[in-house]
Amino acid sequence: MTDVKALQQERIGIYHDIFDNKIPKRVPVDIRLTFEVIAQLGDLNLLETQWNPALIEEAVDKACQILYSDICPFIGSFRYPSFYQLLKSQSFQMASNGFIQHPEVIGMLPEDYDYLIENPYDCLLERIIPRQYKAFNPNDPINMAISFTKSLLAFNNDMQQAGAIIGKMVEKHGYYPGGLLAGGFTEAPFDFLADQLRSFKGISMDIRRMPEKVKEACDALYPLVLKRGMPATISNYATVFIPLHMAPFMREKDFATLWWPSFKRLVDEYASMGIHCTLFCEQDWTRYLDYLYDLPTDTVLWFEYGDPKVIKEKLGKKHIITGLYPVMNLKTKSKEECVAEAKRYVDILAPGGKYIFGFDKDPLLLSDINLENLCAVAETVRDYAVYSNPGETAGMVFNKNDYKAEPSRKIESKYYKTWEEYKALNPEVSDFGAPKLQGLEEAIFNYIMYLLM
Amino acid sequence: MIDLKELTQAVGELDEEKVTEMLTEFVSSKPTEEEAQKVVNACQQGMGIVGDLFEKGEYFVGDLIFAGELLTEAINILKPVIGGQSASKVGTIVLGTVHGDLHDIGKNIFRSMAEAAGFVVHDLGIDQPVENFVEKVREVKPEIVGMSGVLTLAIESMKDTIEGLKKAGLRDGVKIIIGGNPVTKEACEYVGADAFTTNAAEGVKICQGWVK
Repeated sequence: MTDVKALQQERIGIYHDIFDNKIPKRVPVDIRLTFEVIAQLGDLNLLETQWNPALIEEAVDKACQILYSDICPFIGSFRYPSFYQLLKSQSFQMASNGFIQHPEVIGMLPEDYDYLIENPYDCLLERIIPRQYKAFNPNDPINMAISFTKSLLAFNNDMQQAGAIIGKMVEKHGYYPGGLLAGGFTEAPFDFLADQLRSFKGISMDIRRMPEKVKEACDALYPLVLKRGMPATISNYATVFIPLHMAPFMREKDFATLWWPSFKRLVDEYASMGIHCTLFCEQDWTRYLDYLYDLPTDTVLWFEYGDPKVIKEKLGKKHIITGLYPVMNLKTKSKEECVAEAKRYVDILAPGGKYIFGFDKDPLLLSDINLENLCAVAETVRDYAVYSNPGETAGMVFNKNDYKAEPSRKIESKYYKTWEEYKALNPEVSDFGAPKLQGLEEAIFNYIMYLLM
Repeated sequence: MIDLKELTQAVGELDEEKVTEMLTEFVSSKPTEEEAQKVVNACQQGMGIVGDLFEKGEYFVGDLIFAGELLTEAINILKPVIGGQSASKVGTIVLGTVHGDLHDIGKNIFRSMAEAAGFVVHDLGIDQPVENFVEKVREVKPEIVGMSGVLTLAIESMKDTIEGLKKAGLRDGVKIIIGGNPVTKEACEYVGADAFTTNAAEGVKICQGWVK
């Protein structure tokens, strides 16, 4: 076996141990750099590279050579300009520095609640997407069809280009062939409702003015976000990534009645199928640690803030902890301080296993970090965070039979058909077409949902 | 006559229904401008309670957003009776989200609360280039400049903006406060600001301390 293959086997081993409730040989080092950071590292024009993701390959390879990580540090981008531009997006726009962001925009009005609750997918397509994507204009149907098709082709093209680069790097550098986006991607029902439908301000009004409708809307959206997050194949190692957003900005009583129930149900339902979730606990979740404890065993909790000691003590035996190390340290502190800090985090979080080293958040631009400090931290963790008792059982053990899915309503919409429904309407179609046609149906569904995430 | 204490209390409790009802009744009683001004002050004091409850950890960002909206509604109801004169201003702030960042929720909360506290706020908007800050500061001569940002990259933009104010010879004439998710004590020193906060209510208190 070549060195690279041997390294890859070691990496697969340490990640799988984590999910198999074993103490790994050493703490996995999960370091990701955004598309923008890597483009800057390669001295590339950010704008040009975002339009042609294939251009970034050499810069990715350079990043892989100078920076230690057990996963590929490049995960592509969620937000390329092509597909948002083609649909004239209001909700994803490029700032003056070439960085695509989500400004506060409203896709759904208070008077849309009843229709959303009655017929969620129809409401997304008929009312919300046309507000957020001006080229998805039902009053100009032929141009709308053309724009949507171009946008989907662009999306597939850009994602495939980035995916191909990741694949090459995983092979070349022997990375763990999993990571953040290897499974599925979705949002909590409440966050889906808040982020691009009602907006931060809108949902803050609704929580006080019409909490019942908010609750019903979360239940109505539940089957859609559940389906959106489903991994292509179920495995103990590929997680569903769910970035969490609104909870820290709410009062606990609103959180407990409006945010939490549909989310808990979501994670439980995935667990009942043997799927783990990776939750990015954005902002400060200290108030909610007891709730997080109640989630299925081996949920990956990526914290942005919090006291590592408290988190380890409360959650460390049940869940897999990552994050917390403040990425801003890499810019504001000396190399020695950064390294000492990394050891401090490891000393607190590594004992007993169920820990993956990571930063509180991914750096957004190269100027956010001092690269030398970053490399020093990554190498320190690799060499320092080594266990003396690999193979021993780490904390609580996950069993999918401990979790049950509550029955939920079927997705019924004139814009989405199962194969059976399609076949009933088109009895002449050969069953040989089923996988292909159903696959395309799912691809469109996933893209529509992606546009609102 | 309207019970000002009760009104302040209702604003503090974010009781939208009660506030609206009290103010609508007040307006229909054809009050004098002076009486109306007292009612505006009572609403502003209610916002002070909101700020205190936020600092105590009883209210959160969503509640501050709601409070800002409630105050705007309250002022709209009162408009016909407030007359032309505005409350005495305590100071002027030039505010904006720095270049490269499109986020404005935190900035808008700070603006509502600063206005409620009697500041005149010139809000430049989001993704503002250095020269826009410089020009506005030159034009309105504020006591305070507030810079907002959510993304880590905003730190570098804040530094640029402060450098720009220095170059224009305007830095020493103003106090600078930075706010938003990525700001820390270290970031504050790094960019050369006078204060930092991740808490709009605290930010307003810092500003009040500066103009006393």
